[in-house]
Amino acid sequence: MRSIGLYFSFMIIGVMSLKRFKSKLVFFIVLLIVIILLLIALFGLQTGSLHLKGANQMRFGIDIRGGVEATYEPKDLDRAPTVTELEAARAIIETRMDALNITDRDITTDKTEGKIIIRFPWKSDESYFDPQQAVSELGETARLTFRDPDGNIILEGTDVKDSSAQISREDGTPVVVLNLSREGSVKFSEATKRLIGKEISIFMDETMISSPTVENQITGDTAVITRIKSLSEAKSLSDKINSGSLPFSLIAKNSNIISPTLGSGALSVMILAGEVAFVLVCLFMLLYYRLPGFVACIALALQVVGQLLALSIPQYSLTLPGIAGVILSIGMGVDANVIVSERIKEEINSGKTLQGAINSGFHRAFSSVFDGNITVIIVAVMLLIFGSGATLSFGYTLLWGVIMNFLAGVTASRLMIQSLSEFPFLRKPKLYGARRKV
Amino acid sequence: MRFRFYKHRFIFFAISIVILLSGIAGLIINGIMLDIQFKGGSILKYTYVGTVDAEEAGNFVEAALGKPTSCQIQHNMAKEEQMLIVNLANTEAITSQEQQTVTDTLAAKYPNSDFELSESLTVEPFIGARFFKNGILAIVISFALILLYVAVRFRNIGGLSAGTMAIIALFHDAFVVTAAFIVFKIPLNDSFIAAILTIIGFSINDTIVIYDRIRENRSLMGRNVSPEELVDTSISQSMSRSINTNIAVFISITIVYVFAAIYDIKSIKDFALPMMFGTASGCYSTICIAGPLWTMWQNRKRKKAA
Repeated sequence: MRSIGLYFSFMIIGVMSLKRFKSKLVFFIVLLIVIILLLIALFGLQTGSLHLKGANQMRFGIDIRGGVEATYEPKDLDRAPTVTELEAARAIIETRMDALNITDRDITTDKTEGKIIIRFPWKSDESYFDPQQAVSELGETARLTFRDPDGNIILEGTDVKDSSAQISREDGTPVVVLNLSREGSVKFSEATKRLIGKEISIFMDETMISSPTVENQITGDTAVITRIKSLSEAKSLSDKINSGSLPFSLIAKNSNIISPTLGSGALSVMILAGEVAFVLVCLFMLLYYRLPGFVACIALALQVVGQLLALSIPQYSLTLPGIAGVILSIGMGVDANVIVSERIKEEINSGKTLQGAINSGFHRAFSSVFDGNITVIIVAVMLLIFGSGATLSFGYTLLWGVIMNFLAGVTASRLMIQSLSEFPFLRKPKLYGARRKV
Repeated sequence: MRFRFYKHRFIFFAISIVILLSGIAGLIINGIMLDIQFKGGSILKYTYVGTVDAEEAGNFVEAALGKPTSCQIQHNMAKEEQMLIVNLANTEAITSQEQQTVTDTLAAKYPNSDFELSESLTVEPFIGARFFKNGILAIVISFALILLYVAVRFRNIGGLSAGTMAIIALFHDAFVVTAAFIVFKIPLNDSFIAAILTIIGFSINDTIVIYDRIRENRSLMGRNVSPEELVDTSISQSMSRSINTNIAVFISITIVYVFAAIYDIKSIKDFALPMMFGTASGCYSTICIAGPLWTMWQNRKRKKAA
């Protein structure tokens, strides 16, 4: 980091020191970059295929905006569920969430533990929404049915032994192959004879998941669904069909429901508190450290903007512990700037020229900022490795905060102070909090 | 200007011991309360209107579920709300179907009270225990790696002693935060892990800034200067930095606490209050504990050598 910082400084200074004018420009370039990033962080950016999401599209954990988190496990199953079973169970949940119009969701399958974890927001306009009921219903046994155009049930889920997505040997297109039970193949043979040229619709609960046309009578125990666009679509359909013969229902023994009114209150209060704290810290820095304090405020803004982007671009959910991580890294950011400002002041007082004081101030402050940041990075990485849920989000914001602290508090601050000190009216030692004249 | 920290070290040690003992006293009196995130169990919170008797409501739920239940009523001044808290903390976690039974029972028994679910949390005991174990494991491994890092980076001021004293200061601050949770009767949950980690971050950073100054002064002042003078000078030189940084951090945390208190947001209040104690402790432990202890270690080493 340091060498990159120095490299940039040298590169810019090397090219520009020929003319002081250009050196003065550096401050405005950095400021412009900060403003551009701030605007992207606030409003997002969309040009062509590039779409960067801003804070207005930030995802929040359920502790902030309200929502549901539930961990499902098989009910009364005395063995670990197989991967196929878990995927079928996941397909049930996905289909039902689609039916409930819950699109903004996050579903993860824990294969080693045999669990499915879901998270989704509880929006404040859904006053009729009953989250407890939704959690119960999502895990219920799926009722899979094959129906003729009149709605009569031809086959049930238990008639299908299993299904799988395959690539057809004949024409290389994706297909879903169903293996029928003996009883199932008898029923299916009869139905396909009657329904040639017509459609058989497959339903999960009351949601239609596929509607293939019968091309000829199927007498054996395998049926093939063709004309599927992609292999992933075939996989998804096959998972859904497998859910019909799933030997267990799911229950949620671990869940957390937070109402949107409770959640959103916390968010607006935290944003307000953050703004007030930021303004007060900036005022303090400005009054105490003057010019370096002014630069510190811009650097802090850059750091926070970087953290916001690190959350909003990959759509990482911000939770309350995540906000704690932001607070800690702002503290670290203030500290880096305080250390530098103090050192510059000391160096001026010890008799160095302004330029010399700025250079050696940064140089001497660097080792302490570096070691402090590295130890905090150690904590953050350990959290990302061992943490779960809440601590994970703390580790993530903290790690980005410290990385931004190197870029903003060390490199950007240095570029800005060096550039500003080129202006004659900004060369007074008083502006750096020093007692003596340069 | 040079403050004589080393000379007054026993006053500082005494202060820390008093804090330590009062924390232990709090522990004996209040006991450690683990929140159900770590302990396992279920908690459901409902807003309602009118009057509801908590004990009676608890009996209704207990009869419907067949599991021991306790109810509590909480008034929120800021939102002018009253809440019924249904606690099934002493049992296994309940399923979402059982949760619905609780909601339905309350709605049926108190048709005019307009019960609405505000929050529910249910955790299986073994899952909670694992969360807690992982959190503690992350903290312990971080400590070990920090010790190693400090030992390597600060080897010219006796890396092992510096690292050990930094860890003692960390334990000091982690204890102060824990004591704050216990004394204010805040159950230990996610916020506890987050608060401890934040304070560890602040505290190690504080300690390293001072060590960095000691390391620098060691080369500037030469080998002949006594550890006492070296440490006192280094701490004094970085005094205004220590004060200013901690003021800035303390202001921020206090504002967060004040806002959370005004709007009565429990989760944030429970996090910010122990943090206020932690930041103060982080600054204090570096200057008054880690520095003097390191000096004592170095003095002993010198005596042995001589």
